[in-house]
Amino acid sequence: MSTFRKLTAGFKELMRKKQSESELDEELNAYVQNAAETKVRDGATPEEALRLARLEVGGRETVKHQVRAVGWEFALEVFAQDVRYGVRMLLKSPLFAAVALTTIAIGVGANTAIFSLVDSILLRPLPYPEPQRLVAAGTNQLGDSQMSPMGNADFLAWRDRQQSFEQVAVLGGAGGSFALSGLGEPERIPGVDVSADFFSIFRIAPLKGRGFYFGEDRPGAPGVAVISEQFWGNHLGSDPNVLNRTLTLDGKQYTIVGVMPADFRFPPRETVDVWAIRTLNPATARPPFGLHALGRLKPKVSMRQAAAELDQIVSQVNAQYPSSTPLAGVMMPMKVWMVSEVSTALLVLLGAIALLLLIAVVNVANLLLARATIRQREMAVRMALGASRKRVVRQLLTESAVLSLLGGVLGLLLAYLAIRAFLAFGPGQMPRLNEVGINSGVLLFTFVVCVGSGILFGLAPALETSRPALSDPLKDANRSSSSASAHRTHRALLVFQVALALLLMIGSGLLIRSFVRLSDVSPGIQRDHVITAALSLSNKYSDPQIPQFWKQFLEKVQALPSVEAAGISMSLPPNLLEITNPFTVEGQGYDPHRKLQLADEMSVSPDYFRALGIPLIKGRFFSPADRVEGEKDPKIVIINQSMAKQYFSGRDPIGGRIQTGDPNPSSPWETIVGVVGDVKYSGLDSGSKPTIYVPYNENGWAGWAWSMYLVVRSSGSAAQIVPAIRAELAGMDNTLPLAHVRTMDELLGASLVQQRFRTWLITGFAALALLLSAIGIYALISYSVSQRTREIGVRVALGAQRSNVLRMVLREGLQLLVFGLLLGWVGAFSATRVMRSLLYSTSTTDAVSFVATSITLIVVALLACYIPARRATKVDPMVALRYE
Amino acid sequence: MTDKNTALVQGTLDMLILKTLALEPMHAHGIGVRIEQISQGVFLVNAGSLFPALKRLERAGWVESDWRSTENSRRAKYYVLTAAGRKQLKSETRDWKTQSVAIARILEA
Repeated sequence: MSTFRKLTAGFKELMRKKQSESELDEELNAYVQNAAETKVRDGATPEEALRLARLEVGGRETVKHQVRAVGWEFALEVFAQDVRYGVRMLLKSPLFAAVALTTIAIGVGANTAIFSLVDSILLRPLPYPEPQRLVAAGTNQLGDSQMSPMGNADFLAWRDRQQSFEQVAVLGGAGGSFALSGLGEPERIPGVDVSADFFSIFRIAPLKGRGFYFGEDRPGAPGVAVISEQFWGNHLGSDPNVLNRTLTLDGKQYTIVGVMPADFRFPPRETVDVWAIRTLNPATARPPFGLHALGRLKPKVSMRQAAAELDQIVSQVNAQYPSSTPLAGVMMPMKVWMVSEVSTALLVLLGAIALLLLIAVVNVANLLLARATIRQREMAVRMALGASRKRVVRQLLTESAVLSLLGGVLGLLLAYLAIRAFLAFGPGQMPRLNEVGINSGVLLFTFVVCVGSGILFGLAPALETSRPALSDPLKDANRSSSSASAHRTHRALLVFQVALALLLMIGSGLLIRSFVRLSDVSPGIQRDHVITAALSLSNKYSDPQIPQFWKQFLEKVQALPSVEAAGISMSLPPNLLEITNPFTVEGQGYDPHRKLQLADEMSVSPDYFRALGIPLIKGRFFSPADRVEGEKDPKIVIINQSMAKQYFSGRDPIGGRIQTGDPNPSSPWETIVGVVGDVKYSGLDSGSKPTIYVPYNENGWAGWAWSMYLVVRSSGSAAQIVPAIRAELAGMDNTLPLAHVRTMDELLGASLVQQRFRTWLITGFAALALLLSAIGIYALISYSVSQRTREIGVRVALGAQRSNVLRMVLREGLQLLVFGLLLGWVGAFSATRVMRSLLYSTSTTDAVSFVATSITLIVVALLACYIPARRATKVDPMVALRYE
Repeated sequence: MTDKNTALVQGTLDMLILKTLALEPMHAHGIGVRIEQISQGVFLVNAGSLFPALKRLERAGWVESDWRSTENSRRAKYYVLTAAGRKQLKSETRDWKTQSVAIARILEA
């Protein structure tokens, strides 16, 4: 029979259900009459004939049922019936329903929330046309695995010689900003400078105007800029004539040529208000490095081919600059480049939350199992009346599906709230956060999770309840010996649950240990009473004017009441490092194949060290009396302790000489005048690295000093001192914004936001897991005590001490606990490995974390056993025996 | 109990009903009696198998039904073979014959 025919027949049947029902009744009546008449004809009395005929037909309802069961629509009806019944059963035991629904809602909700993050950040393709053709490119030192930004010479060579890309472009360091003046108060706005083909790579149409034209990044071309929709709205009042207006960024004029829609965000981590054109000057040297290169592959060109081509071009550049360290070209899909930092953390979170769901599922399964023993009687009755085991299991599974789907709906609500909370309060510096939300993919995931967990927690109890032990439960429900196997399943599930909880707790223990260690890391400074800010000069200041400005400004700030020391620096602890530079120590030689020695290098003012409280180990700080501004003046540097130990071991570094930049015998020598303590500039979790400080006013560095961090140590509060500083600044130049004003404590705190957040989150999961397992253990032991009330009564009557009873009950719990712990340890030893990259100086098998979490679990679990065990000791033997 | 006695007999019973109706339209009880008579009491068709089978055949479009009055002027639902049913009967009979010959050969070998 064709499917279509079956379908229509089924629907017709559903439509005229009443009618066909009565028709069937009538037909059956006719059948009985006919049968009776046949029998009368054969010689039976009418009454006898009717009786025999009725007997022959058998159970009328059974026949009708069989007829109904012919069509597929019958299964649907049964399902609807089961759902109705399931809901009724839930309503009948509201406490059970509430506990089960809450547990599922938490499990499913948390999973949905985390999955929506994973989905939108890691799984979904980038929101640009043909995203698989977008790549990020860079260079690395031979043998290095990380991709570093490109040098100017490398990019220009690549741009001009490559054949694999439709467009390539660069953007300056991510996290950039511009000083905006001429629009009210001067301020710092987030923005990047990009080369001409940047917008063509993404193929996102501007809201207004255009992107950049080819060649607009040539030297001498007028400055152009594209602004974001947000900036257009909140700074320019959505002016319809915004095109061709000019913006003053870092003191330079840019003409606005386009407005990008609000959902275009690149670089993806932060908001971007302005994309300004980056002028690409012809390369005179390989540096500056720090260019993030992007490209859109031509159709049918693979990334592998393109990477080989880039590598070849980079090796040509190597040959062009023989004194520079040889580099290799590397490439990765743009999405990988964007999300690589967070992917491990997100996947660990997803794993953790899946464990939590499993724990929740086990709890619900145990709840259902406990009910199963109660409902065994009901099921036995059904089966005695002729229901098949398949039918009973189906009904019970439908009930758990109802439970899990209802829980899932609640969970979705929770997930929605959790995502909103995450976006509002979570760590903001994550790529693609603006794309996070609940979409159809996430909904499908939730649905699958619900159905899956419904089957998971429903199956064991359903099989248990429907065990074909017909006679026992019917005879006597109180002493249900048939529940022994239910109890076994129950206990096995509990062992599993304890193991899962321990696994999660150990994971969180490791993260906590790592986080505590990270928070204890000394940044190498005195963190209290320090205010920092960013200040950039506009380009109306010529190189010689820049140090003069700073000198005056610092003198004025220094003179403010309550200021103890004021300094400036290009970089700031704990993670605001601007540049690294290769260096050569006198006597080392110039082998170009030696791995490049890199140091954090920054120009600072003499009082920078005092302002941050960086200790002087040897020699002296810089002094305003140092004569360093002339081309012929001797160059001086201060190095940190790590560098002194590593490169001047056994000799006095003071008076030692180094060169900076690519190894080159003709570079000027710089004399070490002081050694200071190590300071972390690239994150608290970074190792100790060489650091080189140079005077900010030294010849060759003045031009770099146009953008500096201000550091002020003051006994007064930030609220008092910041306005005073602003006033001094406005007195000197009222177009300069004092931006990013933070205390050093805030900077240190902010640098750990991601770590703190994931540590808290996983710890939260672990706490929930512990709670759920404790509930599970408590429920099991209580149940087992209630089952054994009579036995305990007999024991007490026969002279068992209360302590004997207590021990007996606790022993049962302990057994489970021991098995669970063993299983959990085995799991943890193999599973925590995935967390390695998230841990700071903490081994993935850290003994303290393993032991401490295990002890916590044991204590909580024993407590959960103890409460019902104590209740067992209070059993009155007379009551227990009379209980029969 | 729904599916116990159908598996083996189903195909056969359906075919027997079609064959019975090929002679003349009949009501349910008549069909049962006719099968019993012709098989000389070997096949006893009870209502529990007969009604689901009729329903199946009707839904497949092989028989149609209408209410008529019987010879002793009672109302009964009469089943009539359709063209599709006649075709089905033909092919089922052919298959059955091939199979039963084959089975007989195997049993006598």
